[in-house]
Amino acid sequence: MTPNIAVVQIETPHWRCIPLWIPLFLFWIPAIFLSPLIFLVIFGLAIAGKVDPWKAIAVLWNLICSLPGTHVRVVADGAKVYVRVL
Amino acid sequence: MNENRRQILEMLAAGKINVDEAERLLAALEPDRTSVGGFTGTIAGANGTKDTTVKTQAKYLRVLVEADESMTGMKGPTTVNVRVPMQLLRAGVRLASLIPKQAHDQLDEALSRHGVPLTLSQIKPENLEELVDHLEDLTVDVEGNEGHTVKVRVFSE
Repeated sequence: MTPNIAVVQIETPHWRCIPLWIPLFLFWIPAIFLSPLIFLVIFGLAIAGKVDPWKAIAVLWNLICSLPGTHVRVVADGAKVYVRVL
Repeated sequence: MNENRRQILEMLAAGKINVDEAERLLAALEPDRTSVGGFTGTIAGANGTKDTTVKTQAKYLRVLVEADESMTGMKGPTTVNVRVPMQLLRAGVRLASLIPKQAHDQLDEALSRHGVPLTLSQIKPENLEELVDHLEDLTVDVEGNEGHTVKVRVFSE
């Protein structure tokens, strides 16, 4: 499943932001329009690296689709950052 | 059909376990169970006792890093808590297969020079499953300067 939403929250000792719900699914719209260029770049890089371009696309797609469920929480120097990919 | 379920049903059909024991084992495979490891125990089967272990598959890998302020020099303790889906790790392992073969030898040599005896070409998604199965709960205390430690905990859930 492709990542649909990223939830980002940042807190510092002086300031706390509300959780930001970033609609990642909206990025698919420009990605679809730019897809010929993206494919061209991937193909070019794969051929230059002597790698099967279709395999490269499959692996990258697999990587993107595996992102949902990722949680990152960092607390350092009084600041907190939370990132969740849904 | 899930491989574990098939194993349980085969044991039931062979008379190695009775219906109650099969039900307990199947319940241990329920998807709402969050703990990894499943059911392990001795089951008295029709032909005597049998040790049966049913493992539930881990869905996430969690890495916890905790360091106090004396170690980092920052105000307050520093914690990093990362939960990564196992699917992402498998995809990452497949990413290694994109590295050109001619680069493998150079990378392996560079890794071994830095004290990491790893052969990139031999890392496969199946090895990852085996590694996570044996991981369970790994805690590493990294010694820093003046006796301070950073606790790194890696476990699957």
